[in-house]
Amino acid sequence: MTSAPRPPLGRSLLRLFTVQGSWNYERLQGIGVGVAEEPLLRDLQAAGNGAAYRAAVARGAHFFNAHPYLCGLAVGAAARAEHEGATPNQVERLRSALCGPLGSLGDRLVWAGWLPVTSGLALIGVALGLGMGAILGFLVVYNVGHVALRWWALRAGWAHGVRVAAALHQPFLQRAAAWSGPAMALVVGAALPLSTGYLAAGFTGWARGLLFGAAAAGCALLWWGRGRLTGLRYGLALLAVAALAGWVWR
Amino acid sequence: MTLELQAFLLVWGTLVGLDLVSVPQMMIARPIVAGSVAGAILGDLATGLQLGVLFELFQYDVMPMGAVRYPEYGPATVAAVSTAHAAAGTLGLGLGALVGLVTGMLGGMSMSVVRRATARAVQAVAGRLEAGDAHLLVRLHVTAIARDALRAAAVTTAGLGLAQVVRVYFAGTLPLRGVTLLGVAAVAAAIAAATAGTLRVVGRGANLGWFVAGIAGGTVLAWLR
Repeated sequence: MTSAPRPPLGRSLLRLFTVQGSWNYERLQGIGVGVAEEPLLRDLQAAGNGAAYRAAVARGAHFFNAHPYLCGLAVGAAARAEHEGATPNQVERLRSALCGPLGSLGDRLVWAGWLPVTSGLALIGVALGLGMGAILGFLVVYNVGHVALRWWALRAGWAHGVRVAAALHQPFLQRAAAWSGPAMALVVGAALPLSTGYLAAGFTGWARGLLFGAAAAGCALLWWGRGRLTGLRYGLALLAVAALAGWVWR
Repeated sequence: MTLELQAFLLVWGTLVGLDLVSVPQMMIARPIVAGSVAGAILGDLATGLQLGVLFELFQYDVMPMGAVRYPEYGPATVAAVSTAHAAAGTLGLGLGALVGLVTGMLGGMSMSVVRRATARAVQAVAGRLEAGDAHLLVRLHVTAIARDALRAAAVTTAGLGLAQVVRVYFAGTLPLRGVTLLGVAAVAAAIAAATAGTLRVVGRGANLGWFVAGIAGGTVLAWLR
C-alpha cells in the first residue's frame, strides 16, 4: 500500500474540463478520463513502482461513459483505489459500476435540471428587457454550480476510493435531484410564453394567427412523431413551405 | 460586413464549437450566449439576442446524452446572426433561421466524422496505450481536441459562407409577405420544438403540473407587459 499525502487534485480538475475532448466511438470518454487520472497516479512512479503506474494509466484510459461533470468521481475513486493496492479487477469493476449511476444522476441534475433552469431564467431575463445582463447572469450562476459539482465529485471520489457509492447518497444530491424536475418544468414553462411574446412582437394580424397555428401543429407532430421527427427537421420543412408560399402569394 | 468582423465571428464560432463537447463546457455554446456575443461583435446586440432566443428554444429539443447524434446550434447561431444582421427587426429572423438550421445540421454530422477519426487514431495505438504510455495518451487527447477545433472552425466557416450567399443573393429578392412568412415559420418551429422537447423530459407525472403552472405564470407576465 502506498500513501498519497498531497494529491494534485487541482491539476486533475483542470484536465477534467477537457474530459470529452477525445470522445470517440471506441472508448467514449475513456481517453479523457485516463488523461485526468494520470496526475493522481504519478506518486506510484515516484515510489519506484513504474510497472504499477503504467498499468494504472492503461486501465484509466479504458472505456468509460458518464456525465462529464461527474467523471471526477470515477477519476478520484479509481486513482485512490490504485494507491490502496486494489486489484486490477476491482478497479475495472469500480469503473464499470460507476458509469450508469453517474450518467443518470448527471443527466437528471444537470442536463434536465440545472442547465434548463438557468438558461430558462436567461430567456425570461432577455424577454423582460435585461439584455446582456441576463446572459452574463446565466454564465456566472450556471458555472458556479458547474465548477462546484466538478470539484466536489473529484474530492469525493478521492476521499472515498472503492467505497465511493456512499458519496452518491449525500443528502444534498438527493434533494437537488428531487427539486430539479419541478424547477425545470416551472421555469421553462414560464420562459415559453415570454419568449414567444418577445419573438412575435414584430408580427401582427394574420401572421400571429398563423404563428400560433403552426406552433400548435408542430408541437403535436413532434410529440406524436418523436423518434422520427425532430425540431430541426420540422423547422427546415416549415421554412421550405413558407418560402414556397411566399413566392406564390406575392 | 468587413473581413475583420468575419474573422472575429470565425474565432468566436470556433470557441463556441469547442465548448459544446470538448473544452470546457461552460455553456458559451448555448445559442443565447453564442448569439448575443455574435451580435455584440457586429454592433447589433438586438439581432444577436433575438436569434439567440430563437435557437435557445430549438436547443430544448436536444438532450446531449452519450452517443446520440444531435444538431450543433452554437456556431449555427453565430452564422444566423451574421445572416440577419442589417435586416431590420423580424425581417432577419426567417433567413437567419434557415442558415442556422442548415449549419446546425452540418455541425451535428461533422461531430460524427470527428468521433470516428478519433476512434481510428485510438485503434492505431491501442497496443502502446495498453502498455501505459502516458505521453502518448496525452498527445492523443490533445490531438483530438485540435481536431475538434478544426471541425468547429470548418462548420463556422461554412455557416458564415452560407450567410454571405443568402445576404447577397436572396435577402433583397424576397417579397415582404415571403419574409414575414419565413419569420413566422422560424418562430413557430422554435416554439414547437421547445414545447415538445420539454414535454418529453417533463413526462406525464407530477412535473406536468409545474409545467402548466409555469406556462400560466409566464402568460400572465407576458400579458401584463
